[in-house]
Formats: sequence, C-alpha cells, structure tokens
Amino acid sequence: MSLKNEEAEVVIKVKRYTQEKGFYWQEYKLKVDRFTQFTEALRRIKSEQDPTLAYRASCHMAVCGSCGMKINGEPKLACKTLVLDVIKKYGSNVITIEPMDYFKPVKDLVVDLDDFYNRMHKVKPRLYPSNEVLEGKAEHRLKPEDQKVLWKFAQCIWCGLCVSACPAVQEDPEFLGPAAHAKGFRFLADPRDTITEERLKILIDSAWRCTYCYMCYNVCPRDIEPVTAIKKTRAFSRLAKDKTEVIKTGEKHTEAVHSSIFDSGKIMGSRVYLSTYGLLGSMKEMIFLMQSGKLKYALVKEKAVENIQEVRKLLRG
Amino acid sequence: MAYAYYPGCTAHGLSKDIDIATKKVFETLGLRLDEVKDWNCCGGGFYDEYDEVGHVALNLRNLSIVEKMGYQKMVTPCSVCLQSHRLATHKYKENKDLKKEVDDRIKGTSVSYSGSAQAEHIVWVLVRDVGLQKIRERIKRQLTGLKVGAYYGCQMLRPEEIMGFEPAFNPHSMEDLIRVTGATPVSFKAAKSCCGFPLMGSNPKVGLRLAYGVLKSAKEEQADIIIHPCSLCHLQLDNLQLRIKAEFNVNWVVPAIYVTQLLGLAFGFSPEELGISKLAQEVLASRGIV
Repeated sequence: MSLKNEEAEVVIKVKRYTQEKGFYWQEYKLKVDRFTQFTEALRRIKSEQDPTLAYRASCHMAVCGSCGMKINGEPKLACKTLVLDVIKKYGSNVITIEPMDYFKPVKDLVVDLDDFYNRMHKVKPRLYPSNEVLEGKAEHRLKPEDQKVLWKFAQCIWCGLCVSACPAVQEDPEFLGPAAHAKGFRFLADPRDTITEERLKILIDSAWRCTYCYMCYNVCPRDIEPVTAIKKTRAFSRLAKDKTEVIKTGEKHTEAVHSSIFDSGKIMGSRVYLSTYGLLGSMKEMIFLMQSGKLKYALVKEKAVENIQEVRKLLRG
Repeated sequence: MAYAYYPGCTAHGLSKDIDIATKKVFETLGLRLDEVKDWNCCGGGFYDEYDEVGHVALNLRNLSIVEKMGYQKMVTPCSVCLQSHRLATHKYKENKDLKKEVDDRIKGTSVSYSGSAQAEHIVWVLVRDVGLQKIRERIKRQLTGLKVGAYYGCQMLRPEEIMGFEPAFNPHSMEDLIRVTGATPVSFKAAKSCCGFPLMGSNPKVGLRLAYGVLKSAKEEQADIIIHPCSLCHLQLDNLQLRIKAEFNVNWVVPAIYVTQLLGLAFGFSPEELGISKLAQEVLASRGIV
C-alpha cells in the first residue's frame, strides 16, 4: 500500500481541564492519514466536533514551540508528531493527549508558561558585547570553531518540554532547569560576551543540581541536549567565586572520581565516598550499610588496571 | 553461548551482590560471561564533564579489548556503564571534531576500535537473546504472590535513539522478566524517574528526595519490593534504604533488589547466595517466598 493510501480511525482521549471542573477525560474519534499531525487532528476536533477544546499551536513546523503536550505520556511537539507514527509505535488506535506536567494548567492542553519564561530570563539570554563594539569602534567576529560549540545550544524554541519532564526541577527550586542551562551555556561559552563572572554566578550552582537523568536529551524536539550544556557548564566550575556548598561538594566528588580513575583506572567507591563526604559523612553511610547487612561490600578490594600507564595516557593531564 | 562481560566498578565494589547474582543466573542458563581483560572505568556518568575526549577514549579502550577478545557484544549489569559506552561510540561516530581529538589521544596506545563491538545491557540479552521461554524452563521456585515493582531508572532507556532497545516511555522488559518468575509485576508512576544517585555527589538532599519519590510511588501501588537494572540505582535504593527511611521519617521500606537477584531466587538460589540485603530477605520471608 502506498503511503498516500494509509489511513486509520483513531480514538483520541484528551485530558481536559477547567478551573470549575478540574481534570476530566474526553474522547474524540476521527480519521487520519499518513500526513496528519496532532495539531491537525486537534484543529479538526475543535472545528468539526468540539469548539470548546483549548490548545496552543501556531507554526505547525516545529519552530514556534507552542504545541508542547504529552502524547501517550511522551512530552512531544504536537506538530512534529504524526498520528499514524504513534499508532504504529504503540500498536493501538487509542491515543491519550495530556497537558505538559509541572506547569500550572490554564484550560485543557494550555498551561501557564510564566515559570518557564522566568527561568529563561534569569540566565540573561542575550549577548552582552564590549563597549568598543557597542560604540562601533570594533567588530566582534565569531570564529567558526567557536560557533560550532555554541550552535546546538542556540536552537532552543522555548517550548518547555524539557522543564515539564525534568525530575530535578520538580524537587529543587534552586535548579534553573534544562532549557535555561542550554541558553545560559550558549552565552557563557561565547567569546564575545563580557559578563562571564555574572553568568558563572547564575549558572554554576544550578549546574551541580542536575541529576543527569537524560530526560531533557530524550524529549527535546530540537536535539539540543541540554544535559550536555550542563556538563560543559560544570567544566567552568573552577572559575566561579563565592562557591556554595553544592558547588564545593560537586567539585570534590568530580575530583575524587578523576583521581581514582587516574590512580587505579577504576572508581574505588569507598575512596570516593571518603574524599567527597569526609570521614564523618562516610561513617554515617557505613552504619546504614551495616544495618542492611551490606557493609562487607564496602571492604571489597578491587584490583587496579594492570596497564595503568595506558589509561593515564588516555586522560587529560 | 558466551559474552564479553563488563562488570563495572560498582558491581565489583559496593554493589558486588549484583555481580554475584548475575554470574549465577548466567551460569544456570548455560551462558558464559568472559570478563573483559584488564577493563577500566567507563567514567561513571561523570567523566565527560571533566574531560570529554578522555571519556570517549576510556570507553573505546574497553570496546577495543572486547573486539580483540573476538566478541561483538559486551554485556554489563550497570545502566550507567551501558549508557557511557553507547554515548561514547555514538559521539565517536557522529562528531568528526571529537573523533579527531580522540584519535590523537589514543595514538601510541593499544586502543583501536573498529566499531563492531557495542555495549549491551544484561536485561536486553536475557529478554532478546536468551528469551523468556528458556528462562522459564529454569524456574524452580515460583514467586507467586510477590508484588514486584518494575523500576527502569534512566540510563537503560535514555536517550532512546542511542539505547535503542525499547521505547523510553513505554518499556516492558522488566515486567516481562518479573512475569516469568511467577511474581506479579507492579507498574508505578516513578518507574522511569531518576533515583537521584548522580546528585549524591553534589546535592544529596535532593538526591535522597528523588529516591524517596521512587520508593513512595512503588509503595502507593502496593509493591512488596522493586527490581532495578543498575549498579548505581542499587547504591541509592538498596544501600540507602534505611537512610531514606530515617530521613523521611516513614515506617515502611520497599527493598530494591537487582533484576538477576529476582531471577536467581526463582532459579532456586537462597537469598544469602545472591547477596540479597536483610531488608529484602525480611519482606521475602513475610511473603512466604523464602
């Protein structure tokens, strides 16, 4: 069968919301073909079946970031997702659509993105060039190799999907969230920018609050890899002044991991614990281990890599 | 059938019980685990923030040894080791600039990676290569009545296009393995959430909150225990179970055991032989399993 002739009858269950009713589910049936995006499906529902359904969509081409929502539980841009693809992936003609998690619901699939924009503005998402450039006395050129580093992280369309799916955001009000970090790093690493110290102050503590769960990497419709931006931001940690407890602990831990690998080729868990938490902190952990009968494993002595010289050659410095 | 076996640092350290149980299960299934000769750490999920080129080079060294050993699949019980190796090979193939730097770094060493060897998770090998039927044939003890939460965590699933075994938002491998043992799989909201381990090195307060969230979510669905696929989740959800209990002042536990510890129980091994924690043993005894 040619693509053009592929069709399916689909049941779309929408998780709706009004302030009066709270959340409730409503089902809609419609026919879709190979090219039907979810934004088109929603448009047809609204114009042909139920004018009260509220959702956001604008460009229909994954540029504006308006139509973030959960499709079968996956945070997706509705316009970038084809209905038939979801039917095939899940093997079912019944599909759920829900508003993004974390953000306050406004109506149906529309959520309040103020929290998201506040995060983005916190990282000062614009270039602060030098006075010479502002006065027209100098040009600010960006080398291609520098642009390569920044390009990926500059592609954010502010859709909010990564923040809606981020577990650290939900647990930690001090964490800026993935999108803000991608944007923040894009300027932190820009050689033309002049407020590096201020950016470090904004970004570094927060960077150590990411839990590396790769949710943002997975859900980003622009393949930005915010977690990669956060990892790269941590590499600037040593330049930060007035270090918070979170930064100090994080740096100690990373240093402990590096020196353990450099010395033995492996992470010796007990040694990393000691270096990160000190003797007292490690002792507390040991008590819990003892209570659950697992202390014996803390004493396991793993052998170092025999060809340690080769491992060291692979590491920087 | 034989596989190159990469235990990873934690399964040879604080999560040694994972290594013990995994070897017993594979032996029972008639599969040989051939440990990667002189393997090194994968970077533990952190090293790329310190030195991205070094991170890739470290992982390629392991895979290069695997190729020399004549294997294409390097199985690991640790989701972080799995992701670390797969991300490294992905970057090496996709990022020309990085590849050049890595090639410079490995010059003059024994490392030469052709691209044929790849990291695989123990769970993937059990479900796809061994098959549920063959596992079912080895069951000696039905775990009937035990409600087991299927916890996936992060790195075995994400990023979906690099891990590639099952959909990140709709996985079922762990439930499949639970069903084989006769136990009842329990799905819960936080099954694909982070256990918080990576935060223990910088922000332990929030790290523990994430762990508590996972256990609480499993508890809400009446899980007796949960199983997980990761040496580092093991540190967080098994080793720290009592710390979480004290920290959040709750009167319950949901012990976390490794997936091959559950299979080992069904194969007839005792909890002691599998290195299962006292907490889990108490729950298993209360359900009449052991």
